[in-house]
Amino acid sequence: MPSNYPGFGYLPDRETASAAKVKALESLLIEKGIITSNTVDTILGHFETKMGPFYGAKLVARAWVDPAFKELLVSDCNAACQAMDFPDGMSGAEGEHMRIAENTPEVHNVIVCTLCSCYPWPTLGLPPYWFKDPTFRARVTREPRVVLSEFGVELDDSVEIRIWDTSAQIRWWVLPMRPAGTEDMSEAELANLLTPEAMMGVATVKV
Amino acid sequence: MFTKFEHFAATSLMGSPEEAPPRKDGHLQFERDWEKMAFGVAIALSKQGHYEWEEFRQTLMATIAEWEATHELDDPEWDYYQCWLTALEKLVIASGVIEAGELEAQLTQLLNCKAVPDIST
Repeated sequence: MPSNYPGFGYLPDRETASAAKVKALESLLIEKGIITSNTVDTILGHFETKMGPFYGAKLVARAWVDPAFKELLVSDCNAACQAMDFPDGMSGAEGEHMRIAENTPEVHNVIVCTLCSCYPWPTLGLPPYWFKDPTFRARVTREPRVVLSEFGVELDDSVEIRIWDTSAQIRWWVLPMRPAGTEDMSEAELANLLTPEAMMGVATVKV
Repeated sequence: MFTKFEHFAATSLMGSPEEAPPRKDGHLQFERDWEKMAFGVAIALSKQGHYEWEEFRQTLMATIAEWEATHELDDPEWDYYQCWLTALEKLVIASGVIEAGELEAQLTQLLNCKAVPDIST
């Protein structure tokens, strides 16, 4: 069925057309002085360097190899961020009041924002879409064991599940357990094992 | 409760799988350079007050709904950033940032490889 919108046509050169259209728009906006050639890079750079799961992964990996650092991370997440060589502002703004909940053999932590979708941006990056899904938010508080099982996290009945409501005031995230068999790994190798899901408590760290 | 417009803008799109930009491991996932530009321009123009971010969101959702109404759900031609670009184009014109004719003229000029100011630097 033909569409009313030319942008939806099955043009064989749709890619070329789209690229040209964006370039035309950009150059027009620059000519008009509405944006500069740096505007978009600055915005994208913000997403790429000022936040991301690699920061969370680095913090967790350091905590796994350095007990004193782990203590700091658990007691004062922001101070731990400041102790790392992260860009300025990383622990401020959105991550102003971050707290981390430590997983142990006895306790498994999960974060959820029951009100909206507050999320520890600076350490975990952009949230997955289901984080804001009302069903997930309602179910994870009501039947966490079932929801975790659907995510592939099978917990022994003896493990207590704690749900942390991450909010605008306190942005919770999770310190996962270091998996067995990683004793010989470097800090960088350990950081590579971490995923945002593991640091939200809906996955375990796999080697 | 966001101190950064970028965070607010991106988070407000996270309501549904259809509406949210593709991402992987907490990062925005761009496959083509023009996607990045279209993403950044849409945020920049709203940040500068040319339109409300909610207007962009609604336009994007309406554009996606139009696509879904006229295509099979598993149509391989589905392309998130194609919808994004269409929404952006509608809104820059509707909000008067540029005239429809201006964009067409610029595009024609570009496609004909006429002199276009160098924007690569």
